[in-house]
Amino acid sequence: MAAHTVTSVHHPLQSLTQTFKAKTFKPQNMKCKPTSIVISSKLRAAVIGGGPAGSSAAEALASGGIETYIFERSPEAAKPCGGAIPLCMLDEFSIPSHLVDRKVTQMKIISPSNLTVDFGKTLKPHEFISMLRREVLDNFIRLRAKDKGATLIKALVTNIELPLSEKSPYIIHYISNNTHGSLTVDVIVGADGANSKVAKSIKAGNYACAIAFQERIQLPEDKMKYYENLAEMYVGDDVSPDFYAWVFPKCDHVAVGTGTVCSKQNIKQFQGAIRNRVKPKIEGGKIIKVEAHPIPEHPRPTRVRGRVALVGDAAGYVTKCSGEGIYFAAKSGRMCGEAIVRASENGKKMIDEADLKREYLRKWDDEFFCTFKFLDILQKVFYGSNAGREALVELCGKEYVQRMTFESYLYKKIAKGNPLEDVKMAMNTIGSLIRCNIVGKEMVDAFDRKMLLKL
Amino acid sequence: MSSMAIFSPKLPTLNPSPSNSYGKTHFSFKPYLPLRPTKKLHFHLLVSADNGSGVAATVEEDTPLSSEEAVGSNGSPVPPPTEAADLVAEPVSSFQDARWVGGTWDLKQFAKDGNTDWDAVIDAEVKRRKWMEDNPESSSNENPVVFDTSIIPWWAWMKRFHLPEAELLNGLTHSFLSTHVLEFTCIECHLTVLHELYAGRAAMIGFFMAYFVDSLTGVGLVDQMGNFFCKTLLFVAVAGVLLIRKNEDIETVKKLIEETTFYDKQWQATWQDDNTKQS
Repeated sequence: MAAHTVTSVHHPLQSLTQTFKAKTFKPQNMKCKPTSIVISSKLRAAVIGGGPAGSSAAEALASGGIETYIFERSPEAAKPCGGAIPLCMLDEFSIPSHLVDRKVTQMKIISPSNLTVDFGKTLKPHEFISMLRREVLDNFIRLRAKDKGATLIKALVTNIELPLSEKSPYIIHYISNNTHGSLTVDVIVGADGANSKVAKSIKAGNYACAIAFQERIQLPEDKMKYYENLAEMYVGDDVSPDFYAWVFPKCDHVAVGTGTVCSKQNIKQFQGAIRNRVKPKIEGGKIIKVEAHPIPEHPRPTRVRGRVALVGDAAGYVTKCSGEGIYFAAKSGRMCGEAIVRASENGKKMIDEADLKREYLRKWDDEFFCTFKFLDILQKVFYGSNAGREALVELCGKEYVQRMTFESYLYKKIAKGNPLEDVKMAMNTIGSLIRCNIVGKEMVDAFDRKMLLKL
Repeated sequence: MSSMAIFSPKLPTLNPSPSNSYGKTHFSFKPYLPLRPTKKLHFHLLVSADNGSGVAATVEEDTPLSSEEAVGSNGSPVPPPTEAADLVAEPVSSFQDARWVGGTWDLKQFAKDGNTDWDAVIDAEVKRRKWMEDNPESSSNENPVVFDTSIIPWWAWMKRFHLPEAELLNGLTHSFLSTHVLEFTCIECHLTVLHELYAGRAAMIGFFMAYFVDSLTGVGLVDQMGNFFCKTLLFVAVAGVLLIRKNEDIETVKKLIEETTFYDKQWQATWQDDNTKQS
């Protein structure tokens, strides 16, 4: 296979030597493992999407000797996002500290009955949650991938032709500067977010999404001082029936937002409710931007098909409970890139679906499934009702819970606990849930009695 | 109250639809009330359009919701941002109660015969939380709420929570270990209690369990107290009473198992291609 350069064409049919009609790549054709194919030039990989997932994948690919192209339609755009990353990401991805706008060292969690808990009492002086602008972070990682040898293409991918046979390449059609182009590659990494075109082209299936809605509000200086290093999290049926609402400090403003899976048509009311809950703290502020974005709730039914792998939001790697996605996007992109480098022996050999599943998908699931599952259980137990949310906030007041939570979040490792404290935490959890559910049930009974009297 | 009510009995689907996420339990003898309002729509929007009293929503730099990004569930558009003119300022009174002082209940005001009347504290907190649910209030940095339910001692909660279960267990245990005469006496006693239907049923279950063991093993009812198998059976009965209070709870348990494994199946889905190929 000769090295292929990107050409700009006026008519999509003129430059192609292969038949234009795309056929679906059929995995069942690969009944036996093909013999390794040594290629005369480097393996070619296209990464669709230049966010943390795509840029990390491209960096790993380019570093490993793969001919890498990144497609990003809007490199300068500020993506709607919470913008929080854990401490371990700064180290693992060598993010320089000057990119961090704010270091959140305090967090408050407020229950439906306004019980307010300081959630950050156990943070050590060097521990914080980093708040960054997405356009700054994404740009940094993308340029680093370019420095390692990846080619950045500012373009919108319009169509992906699947290979006609096992050894045939993929053809990516795109528009750049009002010009149609096409690129032939051997491997594709789909890092194009929740509405992934790559996922559609390989029929990866759909997933349920939450909608995250936020308003960026510029506050008066005295009000902004309160949020200098502090983030707030609000729970309650008024702000979201199945998620939480937030106030996150950004570079010179705050982001006030909420999200929901099951009640998207009421998102405006939920947004109104969170503004109500923080009203005195944002009084005098000015909304400078309103944004919304879908957040995947679980992995897609298919994450690898043929020589195409999905990473980040495109794959559905967003945790329940906290809605964290940036770290897992970058990590999955890197793991996928490294997997391709390993399987292809630094670009010298063709890879196949089994390679991607073994080197990337299996390793990813083995490392992170437990984390995702645990957060799913927490969401089911604590986010389903106001009683559960009250119990959650009560528990968050306990120092041991705070320490375990932050250690797990900041370092993405199972925190080393104390068995006796673990038992106490379990008993406290059961106790809080029972007490809050008793109160919750009595609230319902009181309402029923009131209605009965009216009848 | 069933411990199953801790978990929201809602099954996730790929086509989410609005649902009331609050888990409800009903005793079978309570009438169904269709008039309970959905909580989502029962609050006042307090954001003002004026600069002085709230947030001015006047500037939106660019349209953040492109046709590709503005999605709800895989494609449905997000409603446009709220215009400032739509938001109406409505003054809402905050929660008032003479006994609610400094973000918590003043326990001195709940004194009864020299002790704290914890039942009254629970009642007051129930009313406060109900009020807050119906009238969500801004959180305050100056007067934060600090009351949490662990302030009330465990035995006060036990009284509130375990009384129905205790009566049920009493009926079951009593019947299992006693003679026919005692069993009928228990049934008569339990008939005077509010949950007579359940206590009576429990008494009968207990009697038949004892009879079953007697017929299998020849161990008389009195001797069953010292037998490991009988103690195990009793433990199973106690656990069953606590976890499965009504026939509907069996369905709840089944739904719970399905819900718990649903997320695992979503992660496993991508590996199903392999299983299909191999089979």
